[in-house]
Amino acid sequence: MRVLTLPWRRPAPPPQFEAANPAAQTEFTLFAAALQELPDAVLVVRREGAALSKIVATNAAAREMLRIPIDGEQLVSVLRDPGVLAAVETTLTTGKENTLTYDTGGLRSQALRVWVRPLPTAQTALIVLRDETEARQVERMRVDFLANASHELRTPLASLSGFIETLQGHAKQDADARDRFLDIMAGQAKRMSRLIDDLLSLSRIEMNEHVPPSGTCDLSLIAREVADGLLPTISTKNLRIELDVPSPGEAIAVGDRDQIAQVVQNLLDNAVKYSPAGALVSLTIETDAALNANTLDAERTSLRDSGGGRLTLLAPERSYQTRYVAIRIADRGRGIAREHLPRLTDRFYRVPSQKTGEISGTGLGLAIVKHIVNRHRGAVLVESAPGLGTAFTVYFPRAVTMGEGASAPTVTKPL
Amino acid sequence: MMTEHTLKFFEEELTQLKADVVRMGGLTEAQVVQAVRAVALRDVVLAESVVVTDEQLDTLQHEIERCSIRLIALRQPVAQDLRCAVGALKLSLILERAGDYAKNIAKRAMVIAHAQPQIPLTRSVQRMGELVAARLKEALDAYSSGDIEAAKSVWNRDEDIDEHYNSLFRELLTYMMGDPHIIGTCAHLLFVAKNLERIGDYATGIAEIVQYEVAGEDFTDPRPKWSGVEPAPPVSEVEA
Repeated sequence: MRVLTLPWRRPAPPPQFEAANPAAQTEFTLFAAALQELPDAVLVVRREGAALSKIVATNAAAREMLRIPIDGEQLVSVLRDPGVLAAVETTLTTGKENTLTYDTGGLRSQALRVWVRPLPTAQTALIVLRDETEARQVERMRVDFLANASHELRTPLASLSGFIETLQGHAKQDADARDRFLDIMAGQAKRMSRLIDDLLSLSRIEMNEHVPPSGTCDLSLIAREVADGLLPTISTKNLRIELDVPSPGEAIAVGDRDQIAQVVQNLLDNAVKYSPAGALVSLTIETDAALNANTLDAERTSLRDSGGGRLTLLAPERSYQTRYVAIRIADRGRGIAREHLPRLTDRFYRVPSQKTGEISGTGLGLAIVKHIVNRHRGAVLVESAPGLGTAFTVYFPRAVTMGEGASAPTVTKPL
Repeated sequence: MMTEHTLKFFEEELTQLKADVVRMGGLTEAQVVQAVRAVALRDVVLAESVVVTDEQLDTLQHEIERCSIRLIALRQPVAQDLRCAVGALKLSLILERAGDYAKNIAKRAMVIAHAQPQIPLTRSVQRMGELVAARLKEALDAYSSGDIEAAKSVWNRDEDIDEHYNSLFRELLTYMMGDPHIIGTCAHLLFVAKNLERIGDYATGIAEIVQYEVAGEDFTDPRPKWSGVEPAPPVSEVEA
């Protein structure tokens, strides 16, 4: 097809290297191979014509980081940050070295340190990019954690010390009041420890957010396990839970087992929490879902007709070729008004009317879900209509079946 | 299949033109990110630098316009080459307009920085800003790689930004009714949100140009709107 053969996309002939003698040649090859393995992104650019810098050589890390399809690409087509371009320009013109940092932007923004160095050949420069996201993250996390933790712990702490004062004072001899107060205090202490647990796990997840998970896990098994764990709560509230999951081995996703279990746990917890007694909670797994507007749009009209809202809380970059395993957890609770949907995954955000209610929670559950799914390059979708209920759908990239699963068809279920 | 241009100059000019557009896109993208950051961090110096840098966008726009008209006049391109030249012209205008909105956000950031901080509100604006910047980045990525599917995915998801805008609109009204002293700040934030929403629309515009340039036709399927009923006008809902 002609459409993609823009002048832009034409591959350049591979660079020819010549060495004086065979020994030097071997060493050169070795060195080139070593450069390929370097974890930092390395690019060589050459200026041709007035203002064009062409990429003449890259190592594996550079092709991965900047998604460079072929050498010979224009530098601007893969790296268009004005700061970096200016630095390259300066180095090519003046031969001076440049060092700077820049953020890639987008949903999974990376903080990169960039070195630009002139090379002995005319009009040629070396660019080295190092990912410093992690270091930056650690610093920001520390600040965030302190601010959030101290703010959120103050309320239960104030309540605790209030009750302690009362117990030391006039309630000292009142056995009834003492029991009641101790119950409340135990509840507040539990709340504080839950809060600390959630904050810690959120911090841990954020630390690894830009490191994609490598293992695979079976979502059907996870869903069953989590649902079984909730049985006591379900029976006390007299809820019904309906699992519609494929048999084990069919819904395999790329991901960290414990983290995916936590996602399912948090979402099911919420569904159970916000369901009235006797209601139905359903969990459905689709083994081969695409993430595009059509599939998101085709079914699930039950909530739509009643003026409900739907919002993608998280979507991966470049999602259109990937296939996903989707878990949908729906409740028949009171639903969430449309205007609150965008803020659902904010830390400590509670939908206003719920704040005063009897329902306990840290306000971190969905934030944790979002960060885990973001790490897995997945998507989170919420649909909700007041009075009818809420449904969350989480998409995890589907594991490519091969090797031992050769007999199993790649596409397990037609859409 | 390779199509070589007989005139090497022509080929170089087209590449140069497209490179200039991508470079301009990078600048616009950075302007939007910096403007939002200036609002969020109450950074007056950053806001000033955004306002100053906007001139570069104007210069680039003129240059691209001149080059594409020159190219059309002298080389008389047809088919995809013509679309490429026209697309560059249209894109430069869009990017320049988006840059103007970023400049306007930066100007408002200077005013907001001197008022009482409204943390929850600026956070909502920041979240919307990050979403819009991400969308703009995806659209420009689609342009620089000529990827129709990526362009389509940007085009399809404009609804999210609208949803954020509506939610922010209601939030701002609630705050204004709660405390008349902050109406000034909130009004500025409202304009910031509106500007961001417009920039989001431009990202879809870029996606449409990618489709036009690469495939030679417009997007045909209707843009997905999930809700059949439009939400009630925000004002009456808040009053209710």
